[in-house]
Amino acid sequence: MKKLKPRTLAMILAGGRVDELNVLTAYRPKSAVPFGGFARVIDFPLSNLMHSGLEQVAVLSQYRSYSLINHIGSGAAWDMLGRYRGVSILPPSKGYGRSDWYRGSADAVFQNLDFAQYHDPEEILILSGDHIYSMDYQELIDYHREKDADLTIACLRVPMETAHRFGVAEVDDEDGARGGRIVQYKEKPSRPKFNWASMTIFCFKPKALYEVLAANAREDDSFEFGRNIIPRMLYEQRRVYGYKFDGYWGYTRTIEEFWRANMDLLGENPKIDIDDWGIRTNLEHRSIRDCQPLKVGNEAVIQDSLIYNGCTVEGTVERSILFPGAFVKKGAVVRDSVLFFNNVVGKNSRLEKVVSDVNVTVGDEVRIGEEGDAAAKEATVVGWNNLIPDQTVIGSDCTLYPTLTPEKLARTIRSGEIVR
Amino acid sequence: MKEHEQTLVLLLAGGVGSRLNVLVQTRAKPAVAFGGIYRIIDFSLSNVMNSGLSQVGVLTQYKPLSLMRHLGTGDAWDFTGRRRGVKILPPRTGSKDSDWYKGTADAVRQNIDFIRSHPSKEVVILSGDHIYRMDLDDMLQFHRRKQADLTVAMMVVPREQIHQFGAGITNDEGRIVEWEEKPPVPRTDLASMGIYVFDTEYLLRLLAEDREATDFGMHFIPKAIERDNVFAYPFHGYWRDVGTIQAYWEANMDLLREDSGISPEAWGIRPNLEADGRPADRPPARFAAGSTVRGSMVSAGCVIEGEVINSMLSPGVRVARNATVRDSIILHDCIIEEGACVDLAILDKRVVVGGGADIGCGERDAKPNTQYPKHLYTGITLIGKEAVIPPGTKVGRNCIVEPGRSPDGFATGKIPCGETV
Repeated sequence: MKKLKPRTLAMILAGGRVDELNVLTAYRPKSAVPFGGFARVIDFPLSNLMHSGLEQVAVLSQYRSYSLINHIGSGAAWDMLGRYRGVSILPPSKGYGRSDWYRGSADAVFQNLDFAQYHDPEEILILSGDHIYSMDYQELIDYHREKDADLTIACLRVPMETAHRFGVAEVDDEDGARGGRIVQYKEKPSRPKFNWASMTIFCFKPKALYEVLAANAREDDSFEFGRNIIPRMLYEQRRVYGYKFDGYWGYTRTIEEFWRANMDLLGENPKIDIDDWGIRTNLEHRSIRDCQPLKVGNEAVIQDSLIYNGCTVEGTVERSILFPGAFVKKGAVVRDSVLFFNNVVGKNSRLEKVVSDVNVTVGDEVRIGEEGDAAAKEATVVGWNNLIPDQTVIGSDCTLYPTLTPEKLARTIRSGEIVR
Repeated sequence: MKEHEQTLVLLLAGGVGSRLNVLVQTRAKPAVAFGGIYRIIDFSLSNVMNSGLSQVGVLTQYKPLSLMRHLGTGDAWDFTGRRRGVKILPPRTGSKDSDWYKGTADAVRQNIDFIRSHPSKEVVILSGDHIYRMDLDDMLQFHRRKQADLTVAMMVVPREQIHQFGAGITNDEGRIVEWEEKPPVPRTDLASMGIYVFDTEYLLRLLAEDREATDFGMHFIPKAIERDNVFAYPFHGYWRDVGTIQAYWEANMDLLREDSGISPEAWGIRPNLEADGRPADRPPARFAAGSTVRGSMVSAGCVIEGEVINSMLSPGVRVARNATVRDSIILHDCIIEEGACVDLAILDKRVVVGGGADIGCGERDAKPNTQYPKHLYTGITLIGKEAVIPPGTKVGRNCIVEPGRSPDGFATGKIPCGETV
């Protein structure tokens, strides 16, 4: 008989840092940032979990959890609702003995060890909710079991020039392209000597995890998987393996990277194929299920773009991504841009390489971003709840903070300026 | 809030709607897709929801499966909860009254037990066949203000259409003083929309009185206006019975026009995306470089590489390079292959139009369909569910391709205008 109770417990680290993506993460964790025209970043790991058959999931959140809690809802959107299926949100909590905010990714898990122990899984899969990729975690888990590993880390080979930005491992060739033993590991080394980057996807043997987290809590003053837990396990000569992944991985820690990941959704053979990847989202969130189909006007031009239900396009949209509620009025041009929910672009306005957060209304005859090759300029980011008056001119590489008062925008804003 | 608990809604969704031809071959008319992501019944259900009514019985009869699947728990329209609910009421056999529903009143009569088991002050009876937005609460208030036994929603229609409706003449206070069901010669332009508010006691009495009477418009109203308080609730605004291919096509086209003011979203109409076969994980619509889209509505999950002009596209439609779709309604997951052309046609779900095929060729004022001249006569060609049109095939105007047709039905490669395959 098939075992109904899941063998693997998944824990998603969705705490997110404040300043990672500029004003886009001013009011939400990175994992709740909109991506792909209808979804959020965390929908990628959640959909991966669903397709991998892992449906007992905990989400560890701390920073501005509301939009995340709202987004996850009952978990039904990812089929995670049933006798042995569920999503539990685990915010920091008070209790006997300790009452702390999460002091790091490892501490977040350590403070919820009772939750993990209650489920008594055979493996605990800990992953970041911040990245865009498609992976069958079951293959990683199979490898982990085969190797009888204490920890298996999904690794991706990155160029040596960028390796300093990641936790990097030296993975031997024990199993060729599939994986191997991790010989060395360095967290963000200034002069990297190896380049298998950790994707922050960890499969732990529960007993090993419990022991190492307890030791970390007892003896260290930093509580991060990359900086503390992995080195500690290597030092203790535990069985630590690298599972080699060679697909797409969207690691977006700057606006430019975020913009580029968005552009990877476009083109003839998109690197991110959300249909093929089977990305699901919660249609109740922001009521996007109530949106009518996209309405295209008689003079509209749409080229190489993704547009969800609930939009109206009467102007021109090129190489752009429009979330529900975007309205591009007649004569307006939106190029190389990403418009989150409920944006309005007024008549004859022009947006060039703009990332615009929710509830932004751009008046008529506004210019944002310099014309010309998108790769040669930086994006301008507009924070949420802004109203940009008619005929305003804003350059490239600008940052507009959320909810600005009108007088702060009543002038020409030159490229590179930050308006707060 | 409490008052609404005293109102019961009966939604008549049993009609065959046979003039919709192949579109109703596998589903009831209220379940026919409309406006890209909706079904016709979503308009009535959402009107009920937005009016704050929450006890609903849906009377089904003809091919109810796709309708039942669509309704699900009623969750999409907020009908789940302690004092909320949507129940499917199919015909059943019993010690008496065991028969199919013979008409609107008969259908209601056969569900008297349902009416009795949900104590109510009024019963709202409406059909699931129409495209409109209406505040039923306002009609209820009108009914109470007038202390009416029965209130009928009525609107002005062009005189030449009055023969399709129940027609009424009202006096100054809104009382209906004369009634003709589908009059051949119009004497008024005030037509019944088939939406009734009955006092529950009055309705039960009426149904018990004359057990032979089976239709509200035909049998009950003419008698009721003689002796009881029957009022007309005036409705102004967009309302369409999409019971014919032509009306169905026109109402879809009405949604496409800029500034037409007809917007299911603004009207608060809710679809049930989860029930549409595939769950709701459709990605945004994708528009390739080199595509052309104008004057159209395009649903999530579509991939447009070719040209789409003045058309309504349901989720998951693919229009390949150099293919053209014009003045057409394309339902879920149809594939229009490279170089194909679809002009003035309605394609049911999962139709495949082979490369270079031509649907709707020839002059638009071609001869009507030979088999169904009253269904198809304005040039529209109808392709049934899951039909496969072989590459290069030419299909004329007013043609019908039956559902699920395998490619060998097209031996000649050319279907002349008015033919049925």
